[in-house]
This record gives sequence, C-alpha cells and structure tokens, in this order.
Amino acid sequence: MYGMIHRAMRQMVHEELGEEAWLALEQKLEIGPTELLTGMVYDDALTLEIVAEAAARLNLSVDQTLEAFGQYWVRFAGQGSLSSIMKFTGQNLASFIANLDRLHLAVGAAMPGARLPAFTTLESAPGHLVVEYRSDRVGMEPFVKGLLQGLMDRFHACGEIAVVHRGEKSILFDIRYQDKD
Amino acid sequence: MLLSFSEKQIGALLPAFLHIDKQLNISAMGPGILRHLPHVRVGMPCAEAFTIVNYDTTQFFQEGVNVQPVSLIARDSDLHLNGAAIFHEAGCLLAVRFAITEEMFADSSMDLSDFGHADPVILSTMLIVLQRAMLEESQANAIELAHERQRSAELLERTSRVAGYMAHDFNNLLSVIRLNTDRLSRQFGKDEKIGKLAEIIQEMAARGSEITQSLMTLSLQRTDTRQPLSVDQVIQDNMGILDSVVGSNITLKLNLDADGHKSVVSYSDFLNALINLLINAREAMPMGGQIALSSSVGFGLIKGDGDADADVTQSGSYIAIQIADTGVGMSDALLSRAFEPQFSSKPNGTGLGLASVRNFAVEMGGDVWLESVEGKGSTAYLHLPVARTVAPLVAAGSGAPNTGAPAVLDKQRILLVEDEPYALEALVEMLEAEGYAVTACSSGEEALIALGQDAYDVLLTDVVMPGQNGTEVARDACIVQPSMKVILMSGYVPDSAAFQPGWLFLHKPIESAKLLQLIAA
Repeated sequence: MYGMIHRAMRQMVHEELGEEAWLALEQKLEIGPTELLTGMVYDDALTLEIVAEAAARLNLSVDQTLEAFGQYWVRFAGQGSLSSIMKFTGQNLASFIANLDRLHLAVGAAMPGARLPAFTTLESAPGHLVVEYRSDRVGMEPFVKGLLQGLMDRFHACGEIAVVHRGEKSILFDIRYQDKD
Repeated sequence: MLLSFSEKQIGALLPAFLHIDKQLNISAMGPGILRHLPHVRVGMPCAEAFTIVNYDTTQFFQEGVNVQPVSLIARDSDLHLNGAAIFHEAGCLLAVRFAITEEMFADSSMDLSDFGHADPVILSTMLIVLQRAMLEESQANAIELAHERQRSAELLERTSRVAGYMAHDFNNLLSVIRLNTDRLSRQFGKDEKIGKLAEIIQEMAARGSEITQSLMTLSLQRTDTRQPLSVDQVIQDNMGILDSVVGSNITLKLNLDADGHKSVVSYSDFLNALINLLINAREAMPMGGQIALSSSVGFGLIKGDGDADADVTQSGSYIAIQIADTGVGMSDALLSRAFEPQFSSKPNGTGLGLASVRNFAVEMGGDVWLESVEGKGSTAYLHLPVARTVAPLVAAGSGAPNTGAPAVLDKQRILLVEDEPYALEALVEMLEAEGYAVTACSSGEEALIALGQDAYDVLLTDVVMPGQNGTEVARDACIVQPSMKVILMSGYVPDSAAFQPGWLFLHKPIESAKLLQLIAA
C-alpha cells in the first residue's frame, strides 16, 4: 500500500495512544520515516505488520483495527492535503461511492503501482445502497466496512452496513442509512 | 444513423449538455444543468438562459453548420460552459461541459457527478490537485526525514563523544598500568616470577588498549602517532601498494633524494596523501603512461604561489615531493578548482581526494599545488617542512639496555605535564632513569610558571587536563621558548585541540620505548 496509508495509521496511533506508542511500534518493526513516504508503494506485508502491531497496542483484534482504521482513513483524508479532492468526489454518500472509481483512476495515475479497488453501486435508492467491492487483495473486508462507516460519518448519516455476499474477489455490502441532519 | 443515445446516456457522458431546437428553445438538458442552473427549464429560449461568447445567439444557431466550438455563459450565474455545437436537421446539440477551476475543488460548488466519465480535462485536473497534495505531503516527509537524520547524527555524535571520553579514561588507566609495570620490570624484573607477572600485566594492558582502539574508531578519533618520518623510507616501504594504485599500464618511476630527511607527519595520513595524488595522476592517463615520483630537499618558501593561506607562508627547509604524469593535463579553469572539496572532473569522483591532501599538507605546515600543461601532463607538488631537530644531546647507536632508546650524553631538560599522579610519578621515574632532567607539573598552570623560570628542551604534556589544557600549554610554551620540542600525549583528542605543525603526538596508553624514541628523534 502507499505510504499515505502508513502515515494515517501513525496519526491514528498518535491520537489513540500518543506519540510514544508509535515510536515503540517503529522500533519494534525497525521502521522509520522512510516507510512513511506518501507517494511510495510498499509491500502489503509491511502494512499488515504495522496494522497487527498497532492492534496489539490498541488492544484490538487485527480485524477490529482494520475496521477502525478504515473509518479513520476517511477522516484523515478529509482533513489533510486530500480534503479538496475528497470534497470534489461527492457531496453525499451515494454520489461519493458512485464516484470512488473515478477518484481512484486519478490516484492510480498519480501513484503508479498502487493497487486500487473498484466500487460499483448495484442498487441505489433513498437510504439504501448495495455496493460491490472488488479487489485482488484479500482480508480487506473489515477495512472496507470501516471505510463505508467513515463515509456515513462524513455525510452525517447513521445506519447499518451488512455483508450480503462474499465472492472470490468481490464483496457485496448492503448499506441502509438515514441522514442525521 | 450509426449510433443512437438516450438523453440519460448523453447526460452520463455530458452532464451539462443542452439541445436547442429549430425555434432556438432548449429542448433537452443534462443533469448538471438541472443541479446548478435550476432556473433553466425545457422550452425556455436559449438566449434567455445563456450568452454565446463572441456571437449573437440567434445568428450562431441560424448560421452554424456541422460542428463548431462554442463557449456559453449562464445569464444568472458566472458558470461557463465550453465544448462543441453539433448542428443537425432537428436543431443543435451543445456538447458542453462546465469550465473547471481548481477553486471548485475547494469550494464544493461542484463534484465529479457534474462531469462526464470520459472527460479527460477532469482527470488531468484531479491529477494536478492530487499531485499538489502529494507535494505537500512530500514536503512534510522531507522535513521528517531531515529531523530524523539530525536525530541520528546527534545520537551518533553523543555516542561518539561518550566513546571518546571512555577511551580517554581507559587509556589513562592503561597508561598508568603500563608505565608502572615498566617500573616494576626495571626494578624487580630480575626476579623471574615478578618478571613473568609484569609480562602478563603488560599483555593484558595491550589487549585493553586494543579495546580502547575500537572505542576510538567508534568516536572517529585519530589513533595514530604524529612523529618525524623519513619520507623516502615511507615511500620505499610502501612501493607494493603504490605500484598497485597506479595499475599495470602505467610505469611508476622513482627518484628519491630527500636524503633521509624527516617530516613530522602521521604515517597513515602521509601515505593516504601519496595514494590520492597517484590516483589523480592515474586518472589523467586512461590509456596508460608514466608517473615520476621524486623527492628532494629544498629551502625557501614552503607554500606554493597560489595558496590561499599566504598569511601563514613560512620559509625553511622542506621536503619536496613531486608526482608528474604524462596524462591529458588540465585546463586553467579545472586547475583552479582541483582542490575544492566535492569538486571533481570525473563522473564518479567524490571530490574528496585532493581536498584531503590539501588539508593534510596545510595541517602539517606544508602545501600542495598542481601545475599542468594541457595535452602534456600535470605535476603535483607536495611540500612538507623538515622536522626540527633538538640540540644533539644524544649519541646515536648507544641504546639503553631496556628500551632501545639512545643513551643521553648531556642532561636534556624535559618539562612534563600530566594531571594523573600515578602516570606522572611513573613517567618521572622512567625518564630520570633514562638520564633526563625532569620537571614534573600536575597542571597546565604549574607548567606555565615553570616555563617562566627555566629553559627546557622538550615539553611533554597530556592534552586533556582540567584548567589549561595541553595544547594551550604547548602554544604558550612555543611562544616563550620557540626551540622547544613539543610532544603531546593523550588517549582522546577533543575537536577543539588544534595541533601546530611540527608538534609530535603520542597516543596513550604510553609505551615507554616509543616515548623515548620520540624524545630522542
């Protein structure tokens, strides 16, 4: 995964446990700023090592950490240097998810080598979406669920996200939500 | 018709499209128009909603044929639309898109849904915005990396300093052990058992010294002795290395005529300087050639003409080493920059070789420079001051039985400064046993008083001492008694301790024999 993901993970650990916890994690994994270069694509194994180590320190399972991180990632991206492009991608949950692939197309052009997933909205009705997630990565279901939850938070919505189907390279999410505002 | 699309399909490709009928009314429009220009309705005259840039609306639609570029401005907003007008029998399709600006990304006035999926402008604009974001992040990365590098450098520096201090303390202890073991051997060495025990202690002290050597290396400390060396001898002893440096397609011719004269240098630094000059000569002859390495003794100005340190120009006897090649030579421009640190004319050059030679030469009180003729070759001149000799109070060849040092004919006066009492005591005893007249001082301040009261041949001083340190004492001593030989000894030389050319340096732990050789040299 690209380095910005690692930077987000660092920020999450900072916020949850403080800077010392992250420094201890870096020391344990023998990593440093050179593993946090935004535009650099790193081996997924390193990302998963970081997640597993963070999980141990957050006292969560790896899946729980991935989900929490997915949710956090949307907030992180929305506040940092990507905030304008996040705004441009969509101004409500349905349009944002519908435009995610187009965002990823630009991300892929900016960061060659990044393996980006695809999201297709199969059903869209007020308060209800069925979204297909496709990726050649495995084990990312909790992360994607967290991302979708993070998007609901971003657009002030609340609701439920359920996995309705798991394929070889795809997962179907059923999202039922209500706008809080 | 080859292709037929529904309004919805056209809207997916061109969310801001408009269709104008023959009556010049809006007959269809894309979802982007609905979202951002809600006052625009189907059936409304186009001219009521939009202005066509540079044209009269009626004239544009009536006279237009085939396909032509078009630019519209919405009348009740500042939205601009650009694209093409496609004229056909039922009217005109305005295949237009909202004009995008980077501000739109930040002010949330539009989003991706307002632009077509295949819109290349939107993809490139997103790419620019993303790259700008990445640049911001990269700047943050760069700052972090710089901080990290600084932290690492500070840690290394701290570690190095601690290692240096530890080495200093250990070397002092080992010096005391070695000197006192020598005393033990001298006084009771005839007793076989005591002699054996002294030997064991010496051996252990030598091993300890190896450990401190590693600490010194870690702290990037100089561990070599600065002593009078015969330049010709060093060159002859290292011919194997020097030959291999120049390579097999270059002939190295020697003409050594320094006649056994010595210069106070560190052995390894001198050898490095020679090697660097030879490498420089070799690089000038990729096709092979000849290098002439010669030495001689001269008298006059030690510094070359073009040297920047003219203020320290001095005259005296010097050893002149010349390394002349038959290579391509250098232009004046290249020649003027040859000794600049990190300047190199070679693609893989570090620019450190000649710069380090210059540092060495200047540090030793000498100079180095190059002369060159393009197409004919270059010559490097390395001048080093001839080591001063102290009044010949020693008879060469009549070595003392224990140390191999020459016996003393007349009492040479040594001012000894050492703040470690046991080392001081052992040194005094050893030097007196060798026939020297020793004035012992336990601080720099004491030494300065002694200097004002008496004349000395040799100043032998520790470097790191509380109060006035050894280099300060030596500097003052050279002013008061310029002919005095200076020998500094230390297990650790702080960066601030600048040595003057001609000063000798002995690394602790002290070996009695080595010290006596330096005194007698």
